[in-house]
Amino acid sequence: MKLAPRLAVLLAAAVVAATACAPQTSDNSSSGKDEKSGTLRVWLFQEVNNKPKEKVVDAVLADFKKAHEDTKVTVEYIPVETRAQRIKAAFNDPKSAPDVIEFGNTDTAGYVKDGGLADLTEEFAAWDEAKDADPTARQSVTVDGKVYGAPYFVGVRALYYRTDVFDELGLKAPRTLDELAATAKQVHAAKPDLYGIAVGGAYTYGAMPFIWANGGELATGKGGSYASAIDSAAARKGIEAYTSLFGDGNCPAAKCAGMGGNDTVTAFASGKAAMAIGGDFSHQAVEAGKAKGKYAVVPLPGVKSGSIAPAFAGGNNVGVLKSTSHRTLAVDLMKRLASKKAQGELFDAMGFLPTFTDVRQQVAAKEPFVKPFVDTLAAGTKFVPASPAWATIDSSQVLPTMFQEVISGKKDVGAAAGDAARKMDDAFGSAG
Amino acid sequence: MVLGGLLVYPVYQLGLISFLEYTQAQVSGGEPATFQGFGNYAELFGDGEFWRVLLATVVFAAACVVSTLAVGCALAVLLTRVRAVPRLALMLAALGAWATPAVTGSTVWLLLFDPDFGPVNRMLGLGDHSWTYGRYSAFLLVLLEVVWCSFPFVMVTVYAGIRAVPAEVLEAAALDGASQWRIWRSVLAPMLRPILVVVTIQSVIWDFKVFTQIYVMTGGGGIAGQNLVLNVYAYQKAFASSQYSLGSAIGVVMLLILLAVTLVYLRLLRRQGEEL
Amino acid sequence: MNLLRAQVRRPWRLAAEASALLIAVVVAFPLYWMVLSAFKPAGEIESTEPRPWTLTPSLDSFRRVFEQQEFGRYFLNSLIVAGSVVIASALIAFLAATAVTRFRFRFRTTLLIMFLVAQMVPVEALTIPLFFLMRDFGQLNTLGSLILPHIAFSLPFAIWMLRGFVKAVPEALEEAAYIDGASRTRFLWQILFPLVFPGLVATSVFSFISTWNDFLFAKSFIISDTSQSTLPMALLVFYKPDDPDWGGVMAASTVMTIPVLVFFVLVQRRLVSGLGGAVKD
Repeated sequence: MKLAPRLAVLLAAAVVAATACAPQTSDNSSSGKDEKSGTLRVWLFQEVNNKPKEKVVDAVLADFKKAHEDTKVTVEYIPVETRAQRIKAAFNDPKSAPDVIEFGNTDTAGYVKDGGLADLTEEFAAWDEAKDADPTARQSVTVDGKVYGAPYFVGVRALYYRTDVFDELGLKAPRTLDELAATAKQVHAAKPDLYGIAVGGAYTYGAMPFIWANGGELATGKGGSYASAIDSAAARKGIEAYTSLFGDGNCPAAKCAGMGGNDTVTAFASGKAAMAIGGDFSHQAVEAGKAKGKYAVVPLPGVKSGSIAPAFAGGNNVGVLKSTSHRTLAVDLMKRLASKKAQGELFDAMGFLPTFTDVRQQVAAKEPFVKPFVDTLAAGTKFVPASPAWATIDSSQVLPTMFQEVISGKKDVGAAAGDAARKMDDAFGSAG
Repeated sequence: MVLGGLLVYPVYQLGLISFLEYTQAQVSGGEPATFQGFGNYAELFGDGEFWRVLLATVVFAAACVVSTLAVGCALAVLLTRVRAVPRLALMLAALGAWATPAVTGSTVWLLLFDPDFGPVNRMLGLGDHSWTYGRYSAFLLVLLEVVWCSFPFVMVTVYAGIRAVPAEVLEAAALDGASQWRIWRSVLAPMLRPILVVVTIQSVIWDFKVFTQIYVMTGGGGIAGQNLVLNVYAYQKAFASSQYSLGSAIGVVMLLILLAVTLVYLRLLRRQGEEL
Repeated sequence: MNLLRAQVRRPWRLAAEASALLIAVVVAFPLYWMVLSAFKPAGEIESTEPRPWTLTPSLDSFRRVFEQQEFGRYFLNSLIVAGSVVIASALIAFLAATAVTRFRFRFRTTLLIMFLVAQMVPVEALTIPLFFLMRDFGQLNTLGSLILPHIAFSLPFAIWMLRGFVKAVPEALEEAAYIDGASRTRFLWQILFPLVFPGLVATSVFSFISTWNDFLFAKSFIISDTSQSTLPMALLVFYKPDDPDWGGVMAASTVMTIPVLVFFVLVQRRLVSGLGGAVKD
C-alpha cells in the first residue's frame, strides 16, 4: 500500500530529471518507410447524423480492400469540436497518429506549418480525376505552390429569401447589392417585426462577399509573405456596404451586432427575417423552421446587375499524414475517398457539394435546391489567405471586432479597418 | 502529495516555456525552440488591450466572488432552517445547476435571455431588449450565470460545515436570544472560518479564470471585444493558434496575481489571529 | 423545550420554507428549459413564441444521442473515471488533510499554497506538458491518462477543504480518545472519519462533477482510441460550427446531468446526518 505511491513519486521524479532541461518536442519527421501491407488508420469527422456517411465510406473501403487484400483499415469518426486537440496530438505522438485525415480547409496552412501533412504535389498531378477539381477547391489544398491533400466537399453560401413576404410586398429578388440593401429596408419598413435581411457582426463569411464584390481583398501576397488589404479603398467600400445593413432601418445594431452566421440562419428559419445569407448546409435547419415551403434561394448578387458576389468556399479536405509508414496505400485510399464516385455518393447521402465541377453539374440537375449554390461556385469563389496566421486572425476575432466597432459606432470604417489591418499584419509577420 | 509531481512538473514547464519561442512547429519538432528572454512578457505588457482586459477581469471576478459567496452562504443558512422536503428540493435544483456542463448552462441562459426567442424578456415585458449588446448588461448576464452554476458549491460546502458544528452550540446561542445574523456573525462564521477560507480562495481562482461562460455567452468576448476577460484573451491570442509561449506568459501572470491575492488574504487572516 | 420552541418559530419557518421552494424553482428553471428543449422538435427550440411547454414532445434528440457509436461504452468509461477519482482522492485527501492539520512541520503553509498553484493557471497551458508526461508514461489513449491528472487536480482542493473539517473537530476529542485507550489508527478511522464525513461528501460531489464534465483532458489525451472516450465527447458531436444541433446538445446534457443527481441523492443523506450520530457515541 505504502510502496506504490512512493514508487510513483520516484518515477515522476525520474521523468522530471530526465526531461527537465528543455520543454518537449517530438520527432515528427516522415518515417521514410512505405510498407505495402498492414493497418491503415483513418480519421473522419463525425456528423450529427453519421450513418449515411458511414455507408458511403464503407463502400469505398470495400473496394479498397479488394485491391489490397493484405491491408486492414480502421476508421474513427471524431467530433469536429475536438479536431484541434486531436490532430495536434497526432502530430506530437506518431504512435497515435492516423494515416489519412479529413480536415477543414481553413486549417490546411496551419497543419502544413506544423509539419503534419505530407506533400502530395506529384501524386495529385498524376491523378487523372484531379483535372476536374474546381480552382478554389484546388487552392484550398495548396500552400506555397505545393499540394497537401484532396478536396473532399465544399460548402458555400447564397441568399435565402421569403417568397411569401416578397409576393405580398410586390418585391423581386435583388439583382445587385444596392438593391439588396434597398429591398431589406423596404421590408423592414412594411413589416417592422421582420429583419429585412438578418446580418451578424460576427458573421465573417457572410460579410466577405461584400468586400470581394467591391473589388477588395482580405490580404494580398503569395506564400509566406502576406500583407493585409482590408484597409484598401475597395475593401472599405465593402465594409461600408455590409455595416450599412445594421441599424434601425433593417437589423437593429443592439441585436444584430453580436450575431454569428448560425444566428442569422436561425432568425430566418424561425420567420424573423425576410432574407439571410445561408449555406447549402443550412437547408435542413430552414426546413425544420417556420419558413419551410415559403422561401427560395438565389446567388448573392454582386455590384453589377446580374453578377454574383464571390462567395467564400468552405468545406473539407482529405490528406495524408507525413508520419505515415504506408504512404502509397494511404494516398490510394485518399484518392478513393475523394473520388468523383465517392463524392457523388456523399452528396446523395449527406448533401455535401462535390468539389469536381462535372460531378457538381450532375447533382444540380438531380436536386434543384442546390442549383443557386452550384451557380455561385461556378461564378468563382474565394478563399482565406493560405497562411498559418489565418488561425490567429480568426481566433482573435480581428474581423468581427472590426465590423462591430463600426456597427456600434465606436469607430468609423477607416479607423476600424486600419486597426484590423495592423493586427493582421502583426499576425502575418509573427507567423513568418 | 503523491501526485505532486503531476502538478509541479507542468507548472515548471509552463514557466520555462514562457521564456521561449514555442509554437506547434516547435512542439512537433519542425523548428528548434529558441530562448526569448522576457520577449513574450514585453509583447504582453506592451499591448494596451492586455491592461484593459486585466482590469475588467479583476473587477468582474471580484463581483462574481462576492455575489457567489453571499448567495451560497445565505442559502446554506436557509437550508438549516427548513424541513426535509424543501431542503431536498433546493439541494437538487442547486446540484442540477452545478452538474450542468458549463457550455450547456451558458447556452440555455442565452436562450432564456434571447431578445427574439427567450421567455425572460416576455415575462419581464422587456420587448426585444438585447442583454448582450451593452458592456455592463452583458457582464451582468454572465455574472448571473456564473453565480447560478457556482453558488451550489459554496452552499453545499458551507452547509456541510454548519452540520459539523455541534448542535449544542447553536442551541445555546438561540436560547440566549441571539438573532440569526448574530448567530452567523459571532458563532458560525468563526467556526466555519477554515472552510470559508477555502471556499473564498477557490472562488477567487475559478472566477478569475472564467472562460466558458464569457466565451459562449458573449460570442467570444462581446461586441468588439468589450467583454474580454484574461482567460478568453489568452485563448484567442495564444492557444487557439498554438502560440504556447505567449499563452504560458499570460498563465504565469495570472498565477502571480492569484498567488499575491491568496497570500495577502492569508496574511490578513493571520493578523486577525487566525492561523493556518 | 424543543416542542415549545418549534411552536414559537413556526411562522418563521414556513416563510423560510416557502422562500427555499421559490428559490429552488428559480434555480431549476434553466434546467427545466434544458430538458424541455431536448424534447422539443427541431425548429421549435428557437421560435418567436417561446412556450414553457411543448405540444408535440419528440424523442428525436435523444435518439440522436443514443445512436452514437459506442454510446454505452462512453458512459461506462465516464463512470469508471469519475468513480476512481472520487474514491482515490477522498481517501488520499482524508489522510493528507489529517497530516497537515494535526502535525506541524516546516513549510506546511508553503506546501498548502503549492497545492493551489496548479489551479491558478489556464488549464490549456498545462495540457501540453501533461500530454508529454502521459506519452512518456505510455498512458496516452488509456483511461489512466484521465484518472491520474484528475486525481492530481482535485486533490489540492479536497485537502484544503477537509483540513477545515478536521480542524473543526475539537482536539479535546482526540485526547479523550487516547485516554480511553484508542490507538491512532482506531481514532483515525472510527472517530475522525465519521466526523468529517459530511466534508468528504461535499468534496466527493465536487470531484465527481469536475471529472464527469471534463472536456479538455478527454479530448487532449484520448486521441486515437475512441473506445476509451468519455461522455462529454458524445456531447461535443452536436457542436458543429455552422450548424449546431441544440436539441442534441440539450438531450446529451440532460443524459449527462442525471447520473450526477443520482450520485447526489445516494450520498445526500450522509451529508445531512453525517454528524448527529457520531458525536453521541
